[in-house]
Amino acid sequence: MTAAPAIRLAGVGKQYAADGPVVLDGIDLAVAPGEFACLLGASGCGKSTLLALIAGLEQPSTGTIEVDGRAAVMFQEASLLPWLSARRNVELALRFGDAGLSRAARRDRALELLDVVHLADAADKRPHELSGGMRQRVALARALAQDRSVLLMDEPFAALDAITRDLLHEELERVWRETGRTIVFVTHNVREAARLGQRVLLMSSRPGRIVNEWRIADDGPRRIESPTVSELSVEITEHLRREIRRNAA
Amino acid sequence: MPHDTLPAATGGRVASDSEPHPGGRVASDSERIETPSPGLDTGPSGPTRPTEQSDSERIETPSPGLDTGPSGPTRPTEQLDTELRGLDRLQTTAERRTPWWRRAIDGVLPPVLLLVVLVAAWQAYTVIAQPRPDLAPGPLDVAAALGQAWEDGRLQLAVATSLERGILGFLIAVAVGTPLGLLLAEWAPLRRALGPLISGLQVLPSVAWVPAAILWFGLSDATVYFVVLMGAIPSIVNGLVAGVAQVPPQLRRVGTVLGASRLELAASVVLPAALPGYLAGLKQGWAFSWRSLMAAEIIAFGGSIGFGVGSLLQQGRDLADLASVLGTILVILAIGVVIELLVFAPVERGMLRRRGLTGGTP
Repeated sequence: MTAAPAIRLAGVGKQYAADGPVVLDGIDLAVAPGEFACLLGASGCGKSTLLALIAGLEQPSTGTIEVDGRAAVMFQEASLLPWLSARRNVELALRFGDAGLSRAARRDRALELLDVVHLADAADKRPHELSGGMRQRVALARALAQDRSVLLMDEPFAALDAITRDLLHEELERVWRETGRTIVFVTHNVREAARLGQRVLLMSSRPGRIVNEWRIADDGPRRIESPTVSELSVEITEHLRREIRRNAA
Repeated sequence: MPHDTLPAATGGRVASDSEPHPGGRVASDSERIETPSPGLDTGPSGPTRPTEQSDSERIETPSPGLDTGPSGPTRPTEQLDTELRGLDRLQTTAERRTPWWRRAIDGVLPPVLLLVVLVAAWQAYTVIAQPRPDLAPGPLDVAAALGQAWEDGRLQLAVATSLERGILGFLIAVAVGTPLGLLLAEWAPLRRALGPLISGLQVLPSVAWVPAAILWFGLSDATVYFVVLMGAIPSIVNGLVAGVAQVPPQLRRVGTVLGASRLELAASVVLPAALPGYLAGLKQGWAFSWRSLMAAEIIAFGGSIGFGVGSLLQQGRDLADLASVLGTILVILAIGVVIELLVFAPVERGMLRRRGLTGGTP
């Protein structure tokens, strides 16, 4: 990894109140450009907080965060504006992002991006006419519209059924390979992390720290039911359980 | 767009870095897997399974049954596309739009039928019970009184005058109430200071302002408009404030993440999201305008004040003409219903349908 990292965190800590619990403690992390990193941890370990810090939605109490440009963010809920069609939702990101595109150009670009997520046919549908998986794909297209090298995803598929999630994993991986985005993907689903990431970062709870890390040889797309993913999941789960047991004491 | 042009092989390049890392290739870790307390592992493969096979075997024999290329090169995109398309089709249902005439019949028929039944019952009562016509006029008497007022030109004049005042007053109230509501919604200190007063004004019957208005403005149109505005503005302000308060915080967050400026956020996210509350406020504002107007017209009579529907009502009372009074009440009622059906109902229905909030409404 010779290139400058796309995201660099040094000694990052977060505490909401001076006498409150330490949410994050001494996080050091460097994510290389184009890398797909999964941030894995039990509920309440501060992984979403860490993402919010990287996104600039919140400020760290200690330490420094450097991000190559600003980051695009995708949430668990698609959070589309319900009165706008899929296309207009994507156009909104182009408009806010000040890409300097004309109205017609924004429209064309939005249709292009919807085509990337296989939703060209649904461009004029409103969010309530779309399924949960389709809404998340519109949200993905909207995040891509921001044209930022870093994409942060906060459990984006957690609310979807397993079949849809499986297909969206494939879709996301394809988009990642095609666009070369740096992705930080937060999840509490071990298999999802093992399926998607080139790197899986395990977080402990209270205080949130990165306690373990796995790198996965990327020899093309993996499937969630593949032995590689299963084995890695077993191992990561073991570490995760150990972390959880530690909290019982 | 520098990122879109990167070669598809990005991932592969990074992978080569990963070999020397500890815990890298999963295969080497099998010893560690069997050591921890086996009872804990509820994974599908069971705790003992990893030891039964050597790792190399498992990696090299990728379950032949369901193999459509798990570790091979990327599946053709068309296949994924087709699968996503199929799933999308399964998970969405085409919205069934009822034709407009069907909706019109569904909406209009029940109230019209009820009206016919009520009038028939009323007429039956007057025919059978034969009450004194000056105390309980029948529908025919009322219709005759309205016909008389129409022939005089009083009815048309009254309706035109009142509608003009009501609509103009309402529009002024919208023009004043909207910026005021926005200011209150976005500026918390002002909201805390002024909020209770606005709510109080909404509760205060605006008729209470009539005596004061007459003393300030005399018997002029200004009196009428003052009372209308005092009735309508608090409703509109309150509706807008409530609408903004109910905007999901997540939508604001998304706007911020997408890089919206304060102004863009307000204009493109917050205001449209607050529209349902605002519209409810407008509806109530109109109702209060119309009520206040009638009250003002009944009490403030003469001078340079024109002849409105309220005046027509007051005239009927002075002449002890109950048929005319009842007829006028029906006219006031009818105007309210017509405005609701022709203006507010379609706007509201359209807005709710666009947002997919039509559950339960016809």
